[in-house]
Amino acid sequence: MIIVTRANITEKELDHIRERIEGAGLRTHISRGEQRTIIGCIGDESRLQDIPLRTLPGVESVMPVLRPFKRASIDFAAERTVVDVGLGATFGGEAVSIIAGPCSVEGKAMLRETAIAVKNAGASMLRGGAFKPRTSPYSFQGLGAEALQMLSDIRREIGIPVVTEVLDTRHVDLVAEHADMLQVGARNMQNFALLAELGRVQRPVLLKRGLMATITELLMAAEYIMAHGNSQVVVCERGIRTFETSTRNTLDISAIPVIKRESHLPVIVDPSHAGGVADFVLPLALAAVAAGADGLIIEVHPDPESALSDGDQSLTLSAFDNLMDRLDPLAAAVGRTIGAAAPAGDAI
Amino acid sequence: MKLTPEADLEQCRAEIGAIDREIVALLRRRVDLGLKTKSLKQELGLPILDPGREAAVIRGAVESAREANLPDEPVREIFWRVLSLSRAAQQLEEK
Repeated sequence: MIIVTRANITEKELDHIRERIEGAGLRTHISRGEQRTIIGCIGDESRLQDIPLRTLPGVESVMPVLRPFKRASIDFAAERTVVDVGLGATFGGEAVSIIAGPCSVEGKAMLRETAIAVKNAGASMLRGGAFKPRTSPYSFQGLGAEALQMLSDIRREIGIPVVTEVLDTRHVDLVAEHADMLQVGARNMQNFALLAELGRVQRPVLLKRGLMATITELLMAAEYIMAHGNSQVVVCERGIRTFETSTRNTLDISAIPVIKRESHLPVIVDPSHAGGVADFVLPLALAAVAAGADGLIIEVHPDPESALSDGDQSLTLSAFDNLMDRLDPLAAAVGRTIGAAAPAGDAI
Repeated sequence: MKLTPEADLEQCRAEIGAIDREIVALLRRRVDLGLKTKSLKQELGLPILDPGREAAVIRGAVESAREANLPDEPVREIFWRVLSLSRAAQQLEEK
């Protein structure tokens, strides 16, 4: 249930409404917009039956929330959420922010080379896997803590924020020490222990859609993180499993407008994993931005042929440069801009 | 004598450390009092969990935060955590 308040509500009236709801054993969530303030009620709503909510001073209307997710629901927010990662990278505002980098961190030199190139091309964030969830236990598993240190060194050196995946609840604090944003991979989307742990850290989370997950399940996973105290969540469409075999996964472009209708959270797209082939990255990236995506996450490698993982879908540095050139006019056509990282030398 | 910025920073950090220890000691005292109120409530036949009282505690904390010129929403979250600390201690005692 949500309570929409009158525009001129006082702090005292707001406190009183929240005290009445919390006094019935529920919790409240507040969203202040320019036009209105919304109080979201979380908990057993039958306990509110005896409270004359509509007559409390400052209340304009009371409405039920039929969606299973509450904090992630569009009803709970007076405005769309803008997730600020720091160092100039934001998701959900006018800027479409591009995250680029290698599938996995293979060494400092290649990471530096990639970071400089993608930043110069206009990317807002650097990606790079330290812990890799590979289908086979015999595939390269990532450099782990060593890679985190490299990410953190390059972040400082180049002045670009970094996102990296966290696979294990035991690594959450370690990864949070090095990265500006923590990624939950598609295979971990419903790892509820991990989601709960991420709710406790004050770092933005990039939550990827599971390859067999519905949009509602994705938003319920976001709800988990938010219910545990972290509202800085960006969701990511990365392709779902269908009967089609000519692409690695089928990019669900329609997920973008659906999520925008259902939720206030920013949504970005991963065209690299969806298509699974470098040639498909550009058209899928253009389609995603045209459909309203708030950002993209793209795999880029200085030498895809020798990449230790996902070489087939990685763009070369020059192909990425070309992609960024093509994105600019498209973003302008849909009233957006392509965001860029803050210049080097800013406070880190 | 004026401290060098380095020494000043060191002193600030020491003071912050002392405050943190004080916060933990206060939390300990708060949890202990929560346990005491629990046994008193049992003696009086009152329900242990009292959402109305919790809501009033939160409101009080929020009002104090505003007076202290602190952002009220984060303080509200901190106090819900403080309350859950007491709750967890009370439940642990039952086991």
